[in-house]
Formats: sequence, structure tokens, C-alpha cells
Amino acid sequence: MKQKKAIQKLNRSLIFVSSILLALLFAYPIFVAFISAFKTNGEIMRSPLSLPETWTLDNFRFLFAETRFLEAFMNSTILTIVSVVMMVILIPMAAYGIVRDKSKFSKWVYIYFLAGMMVPFQAYMIPLFKQLKDMYLFGNLAGPILIYVSGSVGFGVLLYTSFLKGVPYELEEAAAIDGASTWTTYWKIIFPLLSPTTASFVVLNGISVWNDFLMPMMVLPSDKAKTINVEIFQFVDQFASRWDVVFAGTVCAIVPILIIFLMLQKYFVKGVTSGSIK
Amino acid sequence: MKAQSESIKQANEKASEQTKKKHFRLNKTTLFFLFPSLVLYTVFLIYPSLNSIYMSFTNWDGISPTMTFIGLDNYITMFQSERFYNALKNTFILTIVLTILENVVALAMALMVDKIFFAKNFFRSVFYIPQLLSGIVAGFIWMIMYNYNFGIINGILDSLNLANWKQDWLGNPDLAIYALVFTIVWQRAGFFMVIYLAALQGIPKELTEASQIDGATPLQRFMKVTFPLLAGAVTVNMTLSMINNMKIFDQIAVMTNGGPGFATETLTYIIYKVAFAELQQGYGTALSIILFVFILLFSLAQVYILRKREVQM
Repeated sequence: MKQKKAIQKLNRSLIFVSSILLALLFAYPIFVAFISAFKTNGEIMRSPLSLPETWTLDNFRFLFAETRFLEAFMNSTILTIVSVVMMVILIPMAAYGIVRDKSKFSKWVYIYFLAGMMVPFQAYMIPLFKQLKDMYLFGNLAGPILIYVSGSVGFGVLLYTSFLKGVPYELEEAAAIDGASTWTTYWKIIFPLLSPTTASFVVLNGISVWNDFLMPMMVLPSDKAKTINVEIFQFVDQFASRWDVVFAGTVCAIVPILIIFLMLQKYFVKGVTSGSIK
Repeated sequence: MKAQSESIKQANEKASEQTKKKHFRLNKTTLFFLFPSLVLYTVFLIYPSLNSIYMSFTNWDGISPTMTFIGLDNYITMFQSERFYNALKNTFILTIVLTILENVVALAMALMVDKIFFAKNFFRSVFYIPQLLSGIVAGFIWMIMYNYNFGIINGILDSLNLANWKQDWLGNPDLAIYALVFTIVWQRAGFFMVIYLAALQGIPKELTEASQIDGATPLQRFMKVTFPLLAGAVTVNMTLSMINNMKIFDQIAVMTNGGPGFATETLTYIIYKVAFAELQQGYGTALSIILFVFILLFSLAQVYILRKREVQM
């Protein structure tokens, strides 16, 4: 028995030590990005492993003063916030309609929506760009916003319908007896009930919009700043020797998400698992 | 007694009629609730997707106002092009290697985190954080780490006196694709770990304890009890990761640009290059149709195969 306990203890410490090593491997590249953002370019090349000799903010100053990065940062922020707000207004509404309506039509709409989850963006991007030009949505932020909202309908409807199916009908009946319209019932009673799902939906979609690259690169006009990720991508070519500035850019891209992640961690976990395990 | 049951029946009928009415009344409102999503989704996803099919039979270049219908020419060119088969090969290598590695690493991490007796959340967060980065940011960080002259990987090899192991990781056509694999596993494994962890925590402790009492070794316990009960999560994770891996784009764009040569050019990458750099958008859509068909077939096949071995609790 004593021996068994000792083995168990050994096992536990082995697991713990290997977890720490693995955690180092996972965190180290991000740590490197952070310290490199405060180094001079020469230092990054000379001693990539060490901490900065003197912590300098010059890279950030250059980034915001000499490049279009600030504008790109604003664009990313607007795209993320507006898209996510639109998703949260429109998609749970659609899911509610599908769940509460018993007609064949809404069942078909449900399947029609889910089918969209199978279509990769690359499969429709080429005609989409032509279409945006024809609709005068090419070259402004409205185009990407509408594309993001449309692209999240499939997953969003799946997520919200699975939650709404568990909401008892009595609540709405009570509201109806009190004279509330379906519209009021939805916004006053159902929508607040959805908050936990909405929180997960917001963080997952917010991050994917913030991190998106290909679509904004293609759709936004090239004479102006696009989004953070597009700028970083272009910096790699443009400032092929100013890695310090590019690192400062990556830090600016990481920090907002990291803050949101640390604040709303449990919704991330919930979102990831609720989307995949029913 | 009879009268009573009769009246109950009547009341029930009345009630069901009322609910029917209510649903009927809701029907019109339903349309209103569905309408905005339905319109957006149709206009910005379904319509261009269908348009893609048509466009793949034309020779449109992306600029000229006219497109000529050329039948199956794009598909014939594609199936005769070596570049297409090369891209297909790279896509399959990336997809298969990544899907297996991501899941093995994620499962191993989930088992570890599940067993850790303190700071569980800390480890879970650390493993999850790379998943928060964009493909561009992660790709850039690793591009610098792989750099021959001042990259950290060669730096570490130097300091371990293993200088002859040093490589131009992204410049070597044989290694570049595996350098990408390493980066993407680093980035994505945490996501799948969270799902495995949730599934692990859903397994009743009695089951593993019972097998322990029956004298099962830890390996037996994992193979015969834990792993079969994780089958649902395995199906989900394998399918999700496979679909994602077939669509890898951002990391390739920033790290290798499809090179060296064509060594890391995948289907998604060739679509982008052909359509927007070489202005053969008709041909590009034909390629994208093939990508869609592959994703569809592979995920259906995978779900079908994996579902078979799931156990119901």
C-alpha cells in the first residue's frame, strides 16, 4: 500500500513536471513576441533569446506615427463590434422563429441554414467579390460586415436552436396572456434567457472576425489601411528588415484578445464545448 | 364519470386548437423573425456559392465585363495540370498529418490537465492561448523563430552544441511543410484539448474506479474504458480539425507563400494565386468547387466511420 502511494506520488509529479515543460513550449513563442516588441531590430538579430537590454517604446511610436496601423486598428475594432452586434440581434431571432414555428417551411429553413456550415469561404469568394462590386459594397466596411454576419448564420442557428428547444413554452404563454406581443415577449423574456449562449457566441465570433485575414485583404481598398492582420502581413514584405516594428504590431493584435480572454474565460470554454458536444 | 372524461376531452381539444391557432398566429411573425438572416445568408453565401458552379464553366479573368461559357475546359485543364496534383498532395499531407497530430497532442494534454492536482485552469489557459492568435500573427512569430540566422530554434541548437542540426526550416522544400505542421499543431491543439477535457470530465468516476478495483493497468483502463467513452468527442474533433486543416491559408501566406517552389502550395493557396495573382477566376472557381467536394466527401465519410464505433452511455 505504501509502495502504491509512492508510485502514485511519483506519477503525479511526473505529470506535473511534463505539464510545466509543455506549458513553457506553448507560452514561449508568445513571450518572445512580447519581448521582441520592446527590443531594437539589431538586438532581435543579435540575441534573440535574451531580454531587451533597454526596454524601448520606439517600435510602437514608429508603428502609430509612421504607418497606417492606427487606422487599421480602428477598422478592425469597428468591423468586430458592428458584425458581432448585428449577429446577436439577427441570429437568435432567426433561431427563435425556427424553434417556435411548427411549419414545414421553418424546418427546411433550418436545414438550409445548417448547410452553410459546410461551405468553405474559398468556395464562394471569387463570385462574392464580383457581386460586392456590382452591389457597390466593394471597398468599404459594410461589405465585410454583411459577409461575416451571413457566414455565422449556420453555426449561430445551430447553437441557439439547441438552447431554445429547452426553454418551456409556458413562459411565453404567460406573457401572451398578459397581452405582450410576440416581439415584446421575445426581447423581454426570451432574449435575456439566452445571455449565457450569447456570451459564448460573442467571444467566439468576435475573435474570428478580429483575426480574419483573407477576406478583408481582398475586399478593402488598397490605398487605405485595411485591418490589423492585413497590415501585419504587408509589413512582413514592406519592412522586411524591421522585425521590431512587426513584433510591435503583433503585440497590438494579441493584447485586446488576451484581455478579453482573461476576463471572460468561462464563456470561451462553454462556447467551444457547446458548439461541438450536444 | 363519463361526463367528466368527456368534458376533459373537450377541454383538451379546445386547448390544442388554441395552440394551433397560436402557432398559426406566430407563423406570420416567424417569417418576420427569420427574414433578415434568411436574406443575408441567401444573398451573401448561397447565391455566390451557386454562382461559383456556373463561373467554373467560364473563362472569366476577373476584370473583363464578359465571361464566355467554355464547358468543362477548366476541369480538363485542372486534371491535366501537375501543379494541381502537387497542391492536392500537399493538402492531403497537411490534412492527414495535422488531423492526427492535433488530436493526439490535444488528447494527451487533456489527460494531463485532467490529472493535475492544482492550477488546472492555469494550464488549460496556457494551452488554449495560442488558439487566440490569428494565423497571420502565429505564422509571423514562428517564421522568425524558424529563421536560419537569428531564429530561436537554431539559436537553441547552437547553445546545445548541436550546430550541425541547424536547418533553414522554411527554406528547405522537404522540411517546410512539417515546419508549418508544427506551428499549426502548436496553435490549434489547445482548442481540441478543451473539448476532450470537457468529455473527460463527463465520464463517471465509478467506471474508472471499478476497472481499477478489477485490477486493470492504467493503459488498459485508458484503452478499454476512457477512450471508448471519448468516442463522441473524437468524432467531433477529428471532423472539425480535418475541415479546418483542408482550409489552412493564413499561416502559409505569411510563412512560405506556397514555396519554396511549390512545396507548400495547397488547394486553398492555389485558388487564391490563380484567381487573384494570375487572374484566371473561372479556373479558380473550378478549383474551389473541387475543394468543396473534397471537404464534403471527407467529412461525411469520417462522420460515418467514426460514428460506428461510438458507445452510448
